[in-house]
Amino acid sequence: MNTIRRRFQPEQIRELVLIALIIGILIFFGTQIDNYFSPRTFTRISTSVAVIAVVAVGQTLVILTRNIDLSVGSIVGFTAYIVGTILSINNDIPPVAVVLMAVAMGAVMGSINGLLVAYGRVPAIIVTLGTLAIFRTVLVEISGANSVLTNELPRWLVNLPPVNAFTLGPLDIRLLFFLAVVVVIIFQLVVSYLPWGRRLYAIGSNPDAARVAGFPAQRIIFTAFVLSGALAGLGGFMFLARFGNITVVAGQGIELQSVAAAVVGGVNINGGLGSPFGAFLGAILIDVLDNSLIRWLAISEFWRDALLGLLILLAVATDTVIMNRLRKVWARHELQVSGDGEPPAEKGGAGYAA
Amino acid sequence: MRPDWSIFRRWEGLLLILLILIVGYNALSTPGYLTVGNWVNLFQLSIEKIIVALIMTFIIINAEIDLSVASVMGFSACMMGFLFAGGMPMEWAIAGGLLAGFVAGLFNSFWIGIVGLPSLVVTLAGLIGYRGLAYVLLEDRSIGEFPAWFDRLGQQPLIGPFPLALIVFFVLLIFAIIVLQYSGFGRYVYVIGNSKDVARYSGVRVRRTKMILFVVSSTVAALAGILYAARLGAVRGDMALGFELDIITMVLLGGVSIFGGTGTMWGVLLSVLIILNLRNGMGLANFSGHVQTGVIGVLLILSVLVPNLAGTVQAALKRRRARTVEVVAAE
Amino acid sequence: MRKLSTIILSLLVISSLLLAACAPAAPAPAPAAAPAEATEAAPAEATEAPAEEAAAEATEAPAEEAAAPSGDVIVATPGQAVKMVLMPKFLGILVFDQANQGAQEAHAELGNTDELQFLGPTPENSVAGQIEIVTNATTQGVQAIMISNNAGDQIAPAAQAARDAGMTVVTWDSPIPSAEGEQLFVAQVDFAETGTVMADMARSILGEDGGKFAVLSASPDAANQNAWIASLQETLTDPAYANLELLDIVYGNDQSEDSYNQALALIDKYPDMELIMAPTSVGIVAAAKAMQDEGLCDTVKVSGLGLPAEMVEYTLNGCAPEFALWSFVDLGYTTYYAAYLLATGAMQGAEGETFEAGRMGTYTIEKDPTRDAGLRIVMGPFTVYNADNVEAASK
Repeated sequence: MNTIRRRFQPEQIRELVLIALIIGILIFFGTQIDNYFSPRTFTRISTSVAVIAVVAVGQTLVILTRNIDLSVGSIVGFTAYIVGTILSINNDIPPVAVVLMAVAMGAVMGSINGLLVAYGRVPAIIVTLGTLAIFRTVLVEISGANSVLTNELPRWLVNLPPVNAFTLGPLDIRLLFFLAVVVVIIFQLVVSYLPWGRRLYAIGSNPDAARVAGFPAQRIIFTAFVLSGALAGLGGFMFLARFGNITVVAGQGIELQSVAAAVVGGVNINGGLGSPFGAFLGAILIDVLDNSLIRWLAISEFWRDALLGLLILLAVATDTVIMNRLRKVWARHELQVSGDGEPPAEKGGAGYAA
Repeated sequence: MRPDWSIFRRWEGLLLILLILIVGYNALSTPGYLTVGNWVNLFQLSIEKIIVALIMTFIIINAEIDLSVASVMGFSACMMGFLFAGGMPMEWAIAGGLLAGFVAGLFNSFWIGIVGLPSLVVTLAGLIGYRGLAYVLLEDRSIGEFPAWFDRLGQQPLIGPFPLALIVFFVLLIFAIIVLQYSGFGRYVYVIGNSKDVARYSGVRVRRTKMILFVVSSTVAALAGILYAARLGAVRGDMALGFELDIITMVLLGGVSIFGGTGTMWGVLLSVLIILNLRNGMGLANFSGHVQTGVIGVLLILSVLVPNLAGTVQAALKRRRARTVEVVAAE
Repeated sequence: MRKLSTIILSLLVISSLLLAACAPAAPAPAPAAAPAEATEAAPAEATEAPAEEAAAEATEAPAEEAAAPSGDVIVATPGQAVKMVLMPKFLGILVFDQANQGAQEAHAELGNTDELQFLGPTPENSVAGQIEIVTNATTQGVQAIMISNNAGDQIAPAAQAARDAGMTVVTWDSPIPSAEGEQLFVAQVDFAETGTVMADMARSILGEDGGKFAVLSASPDAANQNAWIASLQETLTDPAYANLELLDIVYGNDQSEDSYNQALALIDKYPDMELIMAPTSVGIVAAAKAMQDEGLCDTVKVSGLGLPAEMVEYTLNGCAPEFALWSFVDLGYTTYYAAYLLATGAMQGAEGETFEAGRMGTYTIEKDPTRDAGLRIVMGPFTVYNADNVEAASK
């Protein structure tokens, strides 16, 4: 026990708890659904988690600074639609340029959020609730209600979803999923080791102290929003590749899904706690539940959402209860790290301070 | 963050000017705007949202959030429809719908107050879950053919030109203003929103206050859902889908800080009037729903940004003036 | 401080309002034909209704007598001023835009001197938005509104209020189930026939020995989709279709994402399923894309109702060998004629009346057998698309 305690911090344990929860859920559904443990189930969940995971990583960066980005749903839809339209007109743009275009487009929209939050000192929830509506409005107005059609897109894009990055035994690692994993790893490393990343936590856990310590808080928050937008833009590209047919409502609801993935993954809504990897696990947890409930013959189509809501709640509760226990154990042994000893729920409800 | 009343008097002043401008513009440019019928319509079309916005104001001032209100509206209305379709008399079905909302509120309160989960997480799960329950109850059915008196309550004027829901709104509004601005409970809501710790040390029962708010929130949402059912004359699983963001927008535009502790019911009332009149005016001028939400989004951001920028500019001017004075003095 | 910020904000608001004023706002209602007089007045006041009703009653009886026995065809008088609104379920879906094209074509053809607006709600706010538009139209003195109803019976009170204010209410694409507040439903096809068409396509794709299939619908609340599925289930009870087995009905909510995931879940749930039938233009493309991505086009086929332009690729590569649809352009066109005739008083909207809808030919109003109440005309026909004709139609 003592060695474990020395090796791990509570936050790392949380990730283990999440993994255990996911495994538990998999085992349960394995007994309920025929042919559940098949490569196909893996492909199913991994491909559908890819888009949301990328967006959730960006969301995590923003939430860490005690802000929130509700505009990502519209950014995903906007980039998917506009990039798709450009590609329908000109099929010969090289793939790399397409991805860069999507990312840049998202970054520009993210920078609008960032400017208003960091330099305009407008609370993030107000800014992004506003831009959620504004970006969508602009999209609908310029689209003239046309759709992006699959058959007008270049072949490489349409055929992208089934492409494998590599195979792992019987499991196909799809390129889009692989891309998402790479994004998660990069940002996990960034927040763990780069000074910029560490400062996200500092700003989120105590904005006043961070300001006193002389961090360029405004610039860091601004960058977090730009990255969140850029990742949503990448998500938009993946969305386009996956679904091909894009209407102006594309990506609606992703804002709440990405927040859900982050908070289920242990990212504290009040900033300063959590990690991109946690958000990735959160996205997987929700997706495993959703995909399994869809296939579970014991429940009707109509029970799915009711159960999903309850299970998300139970997952977070289990996680919180276990974490609170663990933190107390740690706190008892290491009184000096009392800062971590306070359970997150006690830190105040839903404020997303700017 | 101590409440700074002068700032919020100013905020409300801004909202009032904005409201006058919008009403003035609509009155001059849109025929049919200044009729009693249109004003009743204008309220009637969003009446359920603004009823829920009243209680949402308490929740956000208390530094919490309730994302599940719209799903609770749908769930309660569907419960009522389900019971009615199952042969229950309408009065009992209404009571059943309200009870469903009350129980949903207890459920939310349990997880927030007793287990100690953040309200955002609990009500986000509620947003998914209660909507799911609404579909469990009604599946792909639509329940209508309610007794005539029920439809009449929702669709016909009750007193003068005012329908029941509008009267309910004004009664609740007065009640909410009194409770929030002039009662001990209201003061607790502000104190907790400012700092939970301070509140706890000064003997405020933080947990109890919070739990009461969430139970009331869901119960009011249930009432709003049933009024909505009466206005539309039929219920389906998708009732009130997506209303939560509109409701929260109304509260935030009213100057209630998302961090809790500040804001007034007057501000929210003005914000509600602004949004309703803006939507109505744009609707009558044939702007699409997308443009309407977009404009409200711009307004939401500007309402905070402009005072901020003005403050910055003014501070810069003051600094420069001070410097000029220094220079003059030096010469 | 207070003053400065107030001034700045006021300036901003004024300038934005000025901008808005420059944009094409609603012009003052033009002088209009007789029934319009009534709708100009405030809707809440009771005085205007009798005018319209009296007029209607006065002419109703003779019109019926004249129309029914002799079979006279009512023809529109062009050049009248009727302020009209065409309302889709929501904006952003191609088929509704096509309907608008058709309506605009009829608008120009009839030389209506007033305006035709294409107004729709946002998809996430469809029900409340549709009700709002109908209510506002009443205030604005719109004389005819054409509704593709997404709100089920929930729109009935608003539609009834519009009728009471003298407005013409015609539904198209999706009716008001109770028919309350609706004068006429312009059905794209016979809803009872839809089931047969889908069952026939299933049989033609699965072969004479039949097989198992599932339905991927829009939302559980979509009245027209539900009617079509009911009619499909009805058709399947016919012994001729005994070898077709309907496994499940799932809902993709007319969103690509949900539909795509639901299609994938279906193949996991039912390994022996051979066909997905999607009576929605969004669902069918998503399902076809999902099957193609999974390389399953050989084992699981997709069919249903779809747009040729969106489906051409999947039809040619065999993922969706057959699907059906009607022309939404023609639907908008026909609906416009019906609404124009009703609003100008040329037609009363009574059972047995026959009218001419421009290039679409003549239609006779009949009782709607697929609902308990209500009148309809059936436009038709279904066009079944396959590899032979889809390319030409997609252009």
